[in-house]
Amino acid sequence: MSVTLSRRQAFKAMIGLGGTAVSALLPAPAQARASSQGHGEEHPEHPVAPTNAIAMLYDSTVCTGCKACMPACNEANGLPSDTLLSGGIWDMPMGLNAKTKNIIELYQDQHSDEFAFVKKQCMHCLDPACVTGCPFGSLVKQDLGAVTWNSSLCIGCRYCEVACPFEVPQFQWQNWNPKIVKCEFCYDQRLKEDMQPACTAACPTGAVIFGKRTDLLATAKERIAATPQKYFENRVYGEHEAGGTQVLYLSSVSFQKLGLPKLGTASFGHYATKVTSVLYKWLAGPVLVAGVFGFFIRRNWERHEAERREHEEKTGFPDQL
Amino acid sequence: MKITEPTDDKRGTILINHWQCGVPVTHGPVLTPFLLMLSGLAAVGVGLAVLRFFSPLGPFSAMNDVYAWGIWKTFNVMTLTALGSGPLALGMAAWVFNRQKLHVVMRTALVSGFLFYATGLIALGFDVGRPWNFYSALMPWRWNSESAMLEISICMPLYCSVFLSFEILPLILERVYYTGGEQSRVLLSRIAPIIRKAYPFVIIGAYVIPLMHQSSLGGLLLLAGTKINPLWQSPVMPLLYLIAAVFCGLGFTIFLLMIVCLRYARTLDAAILAELANLLSGACFVFITVRIIDLIWRQQLRAAFAFDKMSLLFLFESAMILGPAVALRFRRIRETPRALLNMSAVACLGGMLYRFIPTSIAYMPLRSTTYFPSAPELVMAAGYIALGSVAFVLAVNYFAVLPCEASTWDHTFRPFGWPTKAATSPIVMPTSPTVVQERAI
Repeated sequence: MSVTLSRRQAFKAMIGLGGTAVSALLPAPAQARASSQGHGEEHPEHPVAPTNAIAMLYDSTVCTGCKACMPACNEANGLPSDTLLSGGIWDMPMGLNAKTKNIIELYQDQHSDEFAFVKKQCMHCLDPACVTGCPFGSLVKQDLGAVTWNSSLCIGCRYCEVACPFEVPQFQWQNWNPKIVKCEFCYDQRLKEDMQPACTAACPTGAVIFGKRTDLLATAKERIAATPQKYFENRVYGEHEAGGTQVLYLSSVSFQKLGLPKLGTASFGHYATKVTSVLYKWLAGPVLVAGVFGFFIRRNWERHEAERREHEEKTGFPDQL
Repeated sequence: MKITEPTDDKRGTILINHWQCGVPVTHGPVLTPFLLMLSGLAAVGVGLAVLRFFSPLGPFSAMNDVYAWGIWKTFNVMTLTALGSGPLALGMAAWVFNRQKLHVVMRTALVSGFLFYATGLIALGFDVGRPWNFYSALMPWRWNSESAMLEISICMPLYCSVFLSFEILPLILERVYYTGGEQSRVLLSRIAPIIRKAYPFVIIGAYVIPLMHQSSLGGLLLLAGTKINPLWQSPVMPLLYLIAAVFCGLGFTIFLLMIVCLRYARTLDAAILAELANLLSGACFVFITVRIIDLIWRQQLRAAFAFDKMSLLFLFESAMILGPAVALRFRRIRETPRALLNMSAVACLGGMLYRFIPTSIAYMPLRSTTYFPSAPELVMAAGYIALGSVAFVLAVNYFAVLPCEASTWDHTFRPFGWPTKAATSPIVMPTSPTVVQERAI
C-alpha cells in the first residue's frame, strides 16, 4: 500500500507542478491529436494515447468492496443518493443509473466461492464511440482524455447510450429537463484544479489509483509480472479494448464475468467512419452524385417538357408535374 | 377526350386501363366510420404526445438505459421511412433513369412518402429529451460532421420540409388553380414558371439527400458494434439500409396504389404496375446479393444457417425478400393483381423486418434488461400512423393524387364545403404557346 500512496503523492506533485508545464513541454503531440491524430487519420484503428493522457487503474484483487468511492463520487458530482432499494435509508444503486456515476458491483459464482468486486464508471476510451456519434458535439474528449458532457448542446437523442459498448451513459428518464449522467473523470470539479478524481482520492486500499496512462500500464504489467498466476489471462483490460481505454482493469476472474464486454482491439469510431469519412470528405461524394443526377435529370426534363406542351395543346388543360 | 381502350387482358381478372394523370376522388362519403376511428386514434396519439411534452419520458415509455431507443425511433422512423422512400425510388427511376411511365404514379408516392416522413419527424420530436437544443442544427460550427446522427437530424427535416414539400407544391397549387377565382389563377400563372424553372434543380437534392440519410440510418448502427448480432452488424449496413429503402418504397407504392384503387373502384394500369414490379424484383435481388456476399465476406454464412433463433429470423427475413424477387420475375404473377398485391406486401414486410430487427430483436446489449413498448408508447406510435393515414385519405379525396384516366376527371374537385367556381371545361386560351406555358402548373 505504501507503494501506491507514494505513487499517488508523486502524481499529485506532478499535477501540482501544473498542466501548464506539461502542455508547454509537450505541445506537439497534444496538437497533433487535436487536429489529426497521428497519421492524418481522424479515427485510426488503434489510437495512440497522447503522452499526457491520464488514467485510472482498478485492481479487482485489491478492492475490498468498501464502496468509499461511491459517496465520494456522489459528493463531488452533487448526485443524490439512490435509496430506492434500501427504503430511503442509504445509497444502494442497482447499477449505473441516473443517480449513480460510479458503482462497486459484486460478482459471485453460484457454485463455488469465487467472487470479485468490480468498479464501473465511464471508461474514457481513447476514441470514444459516444463522442463520434454525438450529433452536436455535446460529448467531448477533453484534454488529458476525460470525456465530458455539455448540457447546452445535447438534444437528448440518446445515441451515446446506443453507441457506448460499456453501456455507461445514463439518461434521466424521470426528469423533464433530462441530462446524460456519466462519469466525467471529475474534470470540472477536480481535474481542472489539479486534484485527482474523487473516487481514487477516496479509495483507502489503493484498489483504484490515478495517474498517467503510460505509468499505470507499466504498474499493471509490473503487478502481473510479479505474480504471474494471479491475474486473469495475465493482461490488462482496457489496454487495447475498443482501441484502448483510459480506465484499466486487473482481475483474477474473467473480465466478462465482471460484466466487462469482450471487445476487439479496433476502435468503433474507426469501424463506423472509415467509409463515410472518405465519401463525405468535403461533401465530395454527395456533390459528385448530385452532378451526375443533375446531368440526367436535365436531359430527361427536356423530353418531359416537350411531351407536356404537346399534351396541353391537345387538351387545353395544364399537364401535371 | 376519348376514353382509352382497355389493353389486352390475358388473365381476365380485371379491366385494365391506362393511368394518365392524377385524378381526385369525387364520389362517396369522405368521413367513413373507419376514417373517424382513425381520426380518433390519431387524436389520442397526438394528445398523448402533447402531454408527453409537459412530462418526462419515463411515464410515457418503457425505454431504459439499455434499450435507449424505443419503437418511436426504431419503428416510426427507422422502419417506416423505408416505406416512405417511394419518392426517392420512383423519382430516381422516372427522372434519372428516364422511366417515363412512372411520372403518373409519382404523386401517390410523394404524398405517402411525405406523410411517412412527417409523422416520423413528429415521433422523433417527442422522443428526444432536449428538443429545445435543436436550434444547433442551424449553426454549422456546432456540427459533429462525423456523426451519422447529425446527418439524419439535419437531412430528414430538411428533406421533408423543403424538398418533399416542394415536390408536392404543384398538387396544392393545381387545386387552387381549378377551384379558385380568376385572381388566384393570375397569381398562379406567375408562380408556375418559377416552379418549372426550379424543379429540375430542386429534385436533384430530393434524391441526393434521402440517399444520404437513408444510408445513414444504417450507419447509425455501426457504432452500436458488438451489441448487434453479427448476422446484421456489418460494414455494408448503410448500403443495405439504402437498398431496403428503395425496394420498400417501390413495394409500398405498388401496395398502396392497388389497395386505394380497390377502395375507390379504380381500374389498374397493368403496364405501370408491371414496370414497378420489375424494379421491385430487381432491387430485391440486389439486396439479397449484397447480403449474401457480405455474409460470405465476414464468414457468417455458417451462423446464418445454424438454424438457431437468430438464424431462423435471418432466413425468414431473407425469404420474405427473395420470395417476391423470384415471383415477380414471372410475367404471369406480375400481371395478376392479386399476386402482385401480395408479393409487394411481402417484400415490404421483408424490408421492414430487415430495418427493424437490428435495433430490436438482434439488439443484444450486455446487461440483461428487456424492453417492450408500454401502452402509451404503442398508442402514440399507432396514433402517428393513423394521423398519416387520415391525411392520406383526405389528400386522395381533395387533391389529384391517385392516378386514373384523364377522361374520368371533370376537373371539379370535391369542394371543402364552401362554394367554388370550379373549372369544368378548358378555359379558352390564346393560341400562343408561351401563354399556355405560363398558365401551367
